[in-house]
Amino acid sequence: MQNMGSKLRSTYRINDKCTGCTVCARLCPVYAISGERKKQHHINEMRCVSCGVCGRICTFGAIADEKGNPCTRIPRSQWLKPVIDIDLCTGCGICVEICSAGALSLSDPKFQGDIEIKAQLSEQKKCVDCKLCEVQCPMEAIKMKLPEEIL
Amino acid sequence: MNTPIYLKIDLSTGKSEKYIVSEEYFQKYLGGKTLACKLLLDMTEAGIDPLSPEAMIIINTGPMNNTGAPSSSRFNLSFKNVLTGGIASSNCGGQFGVMLKRAGYDGLILTGKANKPSVIEIVDGEFFLKDGKDLWGLDMEETQQRLPKHYGKLVIGPAGENLVKYASAGSGERMAGRCGAGAVLGSKNIKAVIAYGTRRAEIFEKEKFQRHIRRWVKLLRDHPMTGESLPKYGTAGLLNKANATFSLPTHNFKVGHSSKANYVSGETLAKTRLIRNSGCISCPIRCERRVKHKGKEIKGPEFETLGFFGPNIDSADLDAIINLNYICDLLGMDTISVAASIAFAMELKDKGIMDFGLSFGDPSTLEDALYKIANREGIYSDIADGTKAMSEKYGGEEFAMHSKGLELASYEPRRSVGMGLGYATSNRGGCHLNGGYLALLESVGVLSVDPQSPKSKAELTVLMQNVLEAVSSAGFCLFTAQAHIPKLFFKLGPYHPITRMTNRILKHSGGLIRLLLKSLSLMKFNSMLLFPHAEAVRLVTGIPMYTGSFIILGERSFNLERLYNLREGLAAKDDSLPDRLTKTPQIEGEMDTVVPLDTMLPQYYKVRGWDENGVPREKTIKRLGIE
Repeated sequence: MQNMGSKLRSTYRINDKCTGCTVCARLCPVYAISGERKKQHHINEMRCVSCGVCGRICTFGAIADEKGNPCTRIPRSQWLKPVIDIDLCTGCGICVEICSAGALSLSDPKFQGDIEIKAQLSEQKKCVDCKLCEVQCPMEAIKMKLPEEIL
Repeated sequence: MNTPIYLKIDLSTGKSEKYIVSEEYFQKYLGGKTLACKLLLDMTEAGIDPLSPEAMIIINTGPMNNTGAPSSSRFNLSFKNVLTGGIASSNCGGQFGVMLKRAGYDGLILTGKANKPSVIEIVDGEFFLKDGKDLWGLDMEETQQRLPKHYGKLVIGPAGENLVKYASAGSGERMAGRCGAGAVLGSKNIKAVIAYGTRRAEIFEKEKFQRHIRRWVKLLRDHPMTGESLPKYGTAGLLNKANATFSLPTHNFKVGHSSKANYVSGETLAKTRLIRNSGCISCPIRCERRVKHKGKEIKGPEFETLGFFGPNIDSADLDAIINLNYICDLLGMDTISVAASIAFAMELKDKGIMDFGLSFGDPSTLEDALYKIANREGIYSDIADGTKAMSEKYGGEEFAMHSKGLELASYEPRRSVGMGLGYATSNRGGCHLNGGYLALLESVGVLSVDPQSPKSKAELTVLMQNVLEAVSSAGFCLFTAQAHIPKLFFKLGPYHPITRMTNRILKHSGGLIRLLLKSLSLMKFNSMLLFPHAEAVRLVTGIPMYTGSFIILGERSFNLERLYNLREGLAAKDDSLPDRLTKTPQIEGEMDTVVPLDTMLPQYYKVRGWDENGVPREKTIKRLGIE
């Protein structure tokens, strides 16, 4: 079990540099961040999956990772993107269902009764590099890669 | 071994506790409807009212859920049947099952009654009971739109709130229709159950499992039934076939053939209305119909709905059916039961017994009627109680098309007598799937094992019932079992000498099947062609599951449900069909066009290892280990 009943597990945390800009809360793929606008936000440690999205987007250096080291901002163009090996993909759609950013979808049937459907990265810009699809794929068909590695 | 974890919630107090299923139970009952039935037997008293606070409803998944195995996203609701008083299990393919599992639970056990309309929320193992007053009264679509987007949702509609006896519960556009799950949730003041989490499925032998899945998906995609017919025409593709074999209920089961059936067939639907096919999570079969309705893309009707809102009420208006199907889904009503009750009401008018303002051949009044039924307005409240209650009040039992109280499905059993035996013996009432779905071997499939003869039907029914039970309890969709009919027959066609010879062999296979059922415990092997399910279960859970033990699991499940029914007062006399099917021939004067139930039942009891009163013998109970 990934993140249940382990309250002692260290997760990402938000410190007092937080200005309450709400960007991380909007991006968090598992809806673990909450807080009022212009006030310090808070990460629910029961739900955090340590994907690091909040650390990569925060401009104020307000987020510390599991070891307590402050995270540095990474430009969005250098975030990893999922690459789906269509030979391995069975089109089960489990990745589509876990993707809260709405970046993945199943391909449309090409003709009536087409069942050779595959997962695809249809909204590349929406992907937040949370890696949940890579972790969840039962066929291990998804690998996260740097944009320059993707041909 | 990782055994399933359930959350037991007492809605009256709002308290919850974890219930960890013992290893013994997990190995014996696996999950889904089988494990749920065992827990209902253990945890509830006999004779309670299904809509009382003491009643219990179990919402659970099987071990395969969220593993990526084909057609495994289904979840199950088990409770005391509102229509029959026996066992009820209702199965649904929406995203709720997957989300519940990701939230950390294999199932929820609900008892008691919330003191106000409420929503159950499960997030990453935590449970909250939230206020649902704002949602009460809304239809299913709007309820789901108002709930947070990322949750898996299971909701009820107005019909469930008003305790319509066949109210459904739904997730997305998929419905757990039969037996009245919506009414049970409504009686507990639960408008919605929502779940969210990110937990991953644990797999015992990962690499082997992945290989197995890949091969299995290929097998399903290559099969003419699961890879071509179902994706192309959906379940609706069976309609023309059923019509051709005179097994399509028409005019409230008066006859089995309608000259207008092609107007509402799967082929017509695909040609004129279909936008695309779609499907449940992790399903390669993609049988869901997407159609346009009033400028919106919605789920299209299934075979049962087409048959019952079409030929069975003498109508051939496809647009009306699409609309009625949509309204039933909004209100949260089982299309089979509501349409069958409407057909009964129409016949009551025909016979001059009672006028509900509904008449055969006129679907225009039905939209209005559906709203009135869901809101239990005036005399329509009687229709909301189902066919059995109506026939007890107004008479007309001989044409009240139900068994045990649950309305029959859209297969006319007089031209598919094995299906008739299935309807009569099915534990949840007149259900085709619970009943063994012998129509597939008799009237709607490529094979046609003498549909008029009772020969070997008892044995075939027992075998098929066991198989379908086992597939269900592992959490698979029953359609995955259709791929076991060898491809060869589809290639040769139904009239080829080899196909015909197989039909004749199967007709005389009774003795062989009895022998097979006795020697199941020796079948310690797994084969891709026979039961990929068993191997998948073994690879995911680590339980030593083989072809033989898998079918025995189904047998155990069926007997367990029978024991539940016996405990609740159902008996051999309830293994019955309406007189229209057993006494009135479908074709006047041809006495072999009735269901010879009296000939088949004793043989069926014998094959099952039950005594002449339909009670499982001591020996049978001991062999299955369900005492």
